[in-house]
Amino acid sequence: MSVKYQGVQWNGNKVVYDLYMFVALALFTGVFMAIGTTVHPDGHQADAVILLIRALGCAAFLMLTIVLTIGPLARLNPRFLPFLYNRRHLGVMTFLVAAAHFGLTVIWYHSSGPLNPFVSLLVSNPLYASAQGFPFEIFGLAAFAILFVMAATSHDFWLKTLSASVWKLLHMLVYVAYGLLVLHIAYGALMTEKSPVYVALVIAALAIVAGLHVFVGLREWSRDSGMRGLHAPDGWIDVCAPDDIPDKRAVIAPLPRGDRVAVFRDGAKIYAVENACRHQNGPLGEGCIKDGVITCPWHGWQYRPQDGVSPPPYEERIATHDVRLSSLGRVFVRVKKNALGKAGAFIDLEEAAS
Amino acid sequence: MSLNRGVIPAERDDELFIGWAKAPMVDRRFLLGAGPLLLGATTGLGWLLAKNLGDPGAGKWETGATHVVEGALTTKPYPMIRVADPSALKGVRTVLVVAQGKCTSGLDLAAREGLPVKASGVLIERKGRRMLEVPFALDKWLEPVFIDMPGVVANPPEERLGRFALSGMIMDSKCFFGVMRPGRGKTHKACAALCIRGGVPPSFWARDGQGRESVLLMTDAAGGPIGEDILPLVADPVAADGEIVRVGDLLQFRADAGAYRRV
Repeated sequence: MSVKYQGVQWNGNKVVYDLYMFVALALFTGVFMAIGTTVHPDGHQADAVILLIRALGCAAFLMLTIVLTIGPLARLNPRFLPFLYNRRHLGVMTFLVAAAHFGLTVIWYHSSGPLNPFVSLLVSNPLYASAQGFPFEIFGLAAFAILFVMAATSHDFWLKTLSASVWKLLHMLVYVAYGLLVLHIAYGALMTEKSPVYVALVIAALAIVAGLHVFVGLREWSRDSGMRGLHAPDGWIDVCAPDDIPDKRAVIAPLPRGDRVAVFRDGAKIYAVENACRHQNGPLGEGCIKDGVITCPWHGWQYRPQDGVSPPPYEERIATHDVRLSSLGRVFVRVKKNALGKAGAFIDLEEAAS
Repeated sequence: MSLNRGVIPAERDDELFIGWAKAPMVDRRFLLGAGPLLLGATTGLGWLLAKNLGDPGAGKWETGATHVVEGALTTKPYPMIRVADPSALKGVRTVLVVAQGKCTSGLDLAAREGLPVKASGVLIERKGRRMLEVPFALDKWLEPVFIDMPGVVANPPEERLGRFALSGMIMDSKCFFGVMRPGRGKTHKACAALCIRGGVPPSFWARDGQGRESVLLMTDAAGGPIGEDILPLVADPVAADGEIVRVGDLLQFRADAGAYRRV
């Protein structure tokens, strides 16, 4: 959470996470180089720089594929939340690997010639009008530019400066970058390397990323659709019975205008807050109440359930919704949010029972 | 009434992973399996991708060693030295000359045209086709020598072998002979175009109607250096009708840039 900004905020879990990333990258690159150097007979060895360029390019694509699968996997199973927690470091590292791939490519293929290397990158293949011959470098360059913007604005300083919604919108460009990378590979490596393994792996990666997103989207749409149209005309929605909410957890309900509300139960008390975390729009309702405060499952940001304000010294705020128990014993939530910082009406089941 | 239950309910609040807190036992157990699985999968993928890389072909670039040749220097159609070599076809071994980097046109050799020279540089070789990579400063690699050069070596006769329809790929000779491995294909197109723009002689890596493979030095129809119009076609599958001429041990494919078409 953001009382002050540091270059990188570390803790034990992040150190272990980053260690795994480095080891995985080193293993991938090392094995790629070792096998790539020895796979062909003597006198046919591939150039070490080209091998490294390819290893880094493959690694960057693989890393971005993993980055994009973590979100939906964490929605499907909370065991994947540890992978999501430090996804930002994985994203920045993906950019750094892509930068090494880009830098080596410019030096090896485009420098020491009669043109400026960056001019060469743009003009050496002039077939912009060709469906088959289009310069694959342009797709890679555009993807790299997006990754650069995302890495440069990855820090919480930019999140707060730009606001969570703008920041999130900006970082949704990762899907554009991924599509551009697929084109970069399809118009470059897949037109050079003849093995069907490469085509199969790219298709598999694309199918996994797209399939997971579609599956999770349909699942949420299906859940939401069961609740639509149930709101009462006086501005309240019937969410559930009190016992439907597990203790320390929430039920998420869609609101008529498209937002969602998270209805938490803490013992005998029931509160409602908006579902989007102030940090990165994480789904608060998939989190829990820990030490008496609502805790986001993505990065552990916390808010008091009574008024939606982060416990001191933090200052983030989310809106609360009023809740009441209906005459039939159902949990009703007011559709209209309260002003930021305003405590919402809550249900005390013990009081109601007495 | 259908209900939205949100996240899968858990009995204990400590079963949800929170980044800044100690990981719950259930997550630790999961990660103990997932961590090694992730490392194994990335290692396996590295192996699989590298194992299926295409063969870059024969070729060497002997950096760190100096190779010396003595012979007749010519710049027509591209810089090359013809060396007397009884083991070579027609008794002539042609060694193409290129500068370091991708700017061979910066070599000013006009004043040495036809003279016997001793040249030292880095050898680039692919299947008997040789090339010498040299610095720009002539005094660092080139010196005059006084040797008897038979006329057939210094100025071998042209042997016209006829007109052929060939298909193949245009490559820059320097990378294709061994500086870059692989030095062909779409991923090498920009580099090959840059090299040829910089004066590196283009080669036509071609097959004839019977599928026989050959590497021919490309010139225009008159035997001069081919123009930059060829650049958009570099490293793409192309076909062309042209004349094959043997000069010493070297085959030239003579066709203007307009004769090539993408296939």
